Amino acid sequence: MTRPTTIASAVAALALLSAPLAAQELRFTVWTGNDAHLEMLNGIAASFAEKRPGVTVNYETIPAGEYVQKLTFQLAGGNPPDLGWMFEDAMPTFVGAGAVRELTPALESAEGYDLADFSEPAMGLWKKDDAIYGVPFSTSPFMIYYNKDMFDAAGLEDPLTLAGRGEWDMDKFREVAKALSEANDAYGFEFKDGQGYDTRIMHALMPPIRAFGGFAWRDGECGFNKPEAVAAITMLHEMVFEDGSIVPPGEQGDYFSGGSAMTINQISRASKMPEAGFNWGIAPLPTGPAGASPIIGQAGLVVFSESEYPELAAEFIAHMTKKENVAVMAQFFPPARKSVLESDAFTDANALIPAEQMQNVSAAITEGTVLPSHERSPQINAAMKPRVDALWRAEADVQASLDAVCEAIQGDL
Amino acid sequence: MVALNDTEATARRNSVPWLTLRRREAIEGWLFVSPTLIGFLIFFLGPLIAVVFYSLSEWNLLSQRATYVGLDNYADALTANRDFWHVIRNSIFFAAGLVPLNMALALALAIALCRPGPGVVFFRTVFFAPVVTSAVAWAIVWRFLLQGEAGAVNQLLAHVGIDGPNWLREPNWAMVAVIVTRVIKMVGLNMILYIAALQAIPRDYEQAARLEGASGWQIFRMVTWPLLAPTTLIIMVITTIGSFKVFDHIYLMTGGGPENGTLVLAYYIYEQAFEFFDIGYASALAMIMFVIVLALTIVQLLLRQKGSA
Repeated sequence: MTRPTTIASAVAALALLSAPLAAQELRFTVWTGNDAHLEMLNGIAASFAEKRPGVTVNYETIPAGEYVQKLTFQLAGGNPPDLGWMFEDAMPTFVGAGAVRELTPALESAEGYDLADFSEPAMGLWKKDDAIYGVPFSTSPFMIYYNKDMFDAAGLEDPLTLAGRGEWDMDKFREVAKALSEANDAYGFEFKDGQGYDTRIMHALMPPIRAFGGFAWRDGECGFNKPEAVAAITMLHEMVFEDGSIVPPGEQGDYFSGGSAMTINQISRASKMPEAGFNWGIAPLPTGPAGASPIIGQAGLVVFSESEYPELAAEFIAHMTKKENVAVMAQFFPPARKSVLESDAFTDANALIPAEQMQNVSAAITEGTVLPSHERSPQINAAMKPRVDALWRAEADVQASLDAVCEAIQGDL
Repeated sequence: MVALNDTEATARRNSVPWLTLRRREAIEGWLFVSPTLIGFLIFFLGPLIAVVFYSLSEWNLLSQRATYVGLDNYADALTANRDFWHVIRNSIFFAAGLVPLNMALALALAIALCRPGPGVVFFRTVFFAPVVTSAVAWAIVWRFLLQGEAGAVNQLLAHVGIDGPNWLREPNWAMVAVIVTRVIKMVGLNMILYIAALQAIPRDYEQAARLEGASGWQIFRMVTWPLLAPTTLIIMVITTIGSFKVFDHIYLMTGGGPENGTLVLAYYIYEQAFEFFDIGYASALAMIMFVIVLALTIVQLLLRQKGSA
C-alpha cells in the first residue's frame, strides 16, 4: 500500500468511526406552540438522545392554519424538515405525491414496539395497501358537549344519562335540541366551532349521515345523494330552518360562551370549559338507524421523503410512539394504542373530564372511524362548498342540492 | 532616456483619465439606484419571468413533478373550466360596483373636506382611519355586523321596517356587502388624492367663473372637473387595478362564498396555487389577470388621450 493510500484509508476509517458520534439534528415540524406540549415533546427527545448520543430534535412550530401550506413550500423549496405532525385530511395527498416515506420496516424492527397494539380502525388512514406511512399520535373522538344548566332549566335529562339508558338517538337529539332552544335564550346545538357551514362541512354532515347508515364516498361512488344521507341531512335542515334549534348560517351561537346548549367537539376543547362558567358534561354522539357510529379525528407522525436523516427520523417516530411514550402523551393526545386506552392511566389522565365520561371516550376511539379522506380532498372540498352553500337555504330542495354535490365531486372521486 | 521620459510625460498629459467626472457620476448614480434595481430584478422581474415559464408547465408543488404542456393551462382556463368564466364575471361585477362607488364617494368627501373649516381635520381623519386599520380586524367586525337576524345592520334596518337579508349567506347580497365594506375601507385614500388635487386648483379660476355668473354646478362641471381629470385618471387606474387584485377582503369576509358568489380572480388564483398546489395552472391564471389589468390600463390611458386631444 502506498503512503497516500494509507493516509486516505486512515482518514476514511476515522470518518466512519466518528460518524455516529457526530451531532445530528432532526427538524420536527409541529403546529402546537403550547409550552406544556413542547416540554413533553422535548422530554421524549431527551430520552431518545440517551439511546442515540449526539442526536437532538428541534421542534419548529408552524401555526395550524398555515401548516400544510408552509410545509409544502419548505419541501418544494429544498429546505425540508426531517419529520413532522400531519393532519388526517392532508395525509392522502402527501402519500399520493410521494412526499412522505414508508415507516413499516422501521416500526417492525423497533425493539419491543408491538405494532399490533394499535387499534386497527385508527391505523386505517395512515396506511396505503399494507404499507404504513404515518403513526397516529392523537386519536380524538368527537363527543357531544352539553350545558348541564340549560338542560336543567328546560327540565330535560342530559345526554350522558340518556346514553346510559340507551335512549340517546337522533330523534331524541332533535327533540331535546328544540326543547332547549325554546326554554333558553340560546340555540339547541352548534356545529363544531361554529364552522359547520364553512370550513367544517364534513364535521357537520358526517355524524348524522353515518348514524343513518350513509357514507360520503366509497370506491369512487358518491354517497351524499343516497337515501340514508338524504334522510340525515333532511333532519339537519329541518332542525336549522323549521325547529330553529341549530345555529343557522350567518349567525353566531358560541357554545363556550353560552350561545348554544350543545355542540360537537373533541376532548381537547375541555380546556376551554373551566372559564365557560356553567356546569357541563360530554356524551357519545347520538345513535341512529345504523346504530352507534363514533367519529374520530386524527393527527399523525410522518417522515418526509426529502429528509436528510430518514432512518434516524423513522427511528425517532418508533421511539415516540412506543407504549411508554404514548402513555406520557395521553395526557394531551388520546392514544391509538389499545393497551394505553384500556389503562386507568388514560381514564384518569384528564383532570377536567370524570373517568366515567372518559370511558365513553375510550370506547369511541376503539370503535370510531375517521372522517372521509381522499388524495384529492382539497379539490373535493372546494367543489362541494358552493353546492353545500346552496343546501343551507330555507327553501332548498335537499335531494336536489345533494345531487348537485355528487355531480360536482364525481370527477375527483 | 531623457527624451523617452519627455514623451511619456507628454502622453500622460494628453491622455484622458479613465475615471472622468461623467463616468464617476454615472457610477455613483448606478450605485445609488442599485439597491432598488437589484430588489426589482430579484423580487419583481425575476418572478414575473418565472411565472411565464411556470404557466407553460403542469407542476404540482407537492410532488415536484413538472411537465411542459405548452398553452394547455391557458386553453383549460379559457375553454374547459366553467369556474373560470364565473370568476371573471364576479371580478368584473366587483370592479364595476367598487370603482364608480369609491370614486364618487371619494370626490364628494374631498369637495366637502378640501377647504379649512370647523371639524374638517377630524372628519378627514375619520374617513382615512379605515385605510390604516388592520384588514383582519375590519373583516371580523363587519362579519359580526352583517349577521342574519342578530346583526347590528339588520337590527338597525328592522327599526325602520326593513327586513334585511342574510348579507353574507346570499350570493348577490354577499357581493354587495363586500363591495360596500371595501369602499368604506379604502375610500379615504382616494379622498386624500382628490383633496390634494382640489387644493392645487387656483381659487382665481373659480372666482373668475363666479364673476361671469356661473352657478356652483357649472363651476364644478366646466372648471373643477376638467382640471381634476389627470387625478381622476390616476385614481381610476389604481382603483381598477386594486379591485382586480382584491384578495384579503374576500378571504376574510366570505372565502369566495356563498355558492362561489364572491369568488374573484385573485382568490381563485390563491386557491389553485396554495390549496391545490397546482402552480402551473395558477401561473396561467395570474398571466391572464396581468393581461386583463394591463389592457384596462391602456384603454383608460387611450381614453384620456382622446379626451384631451
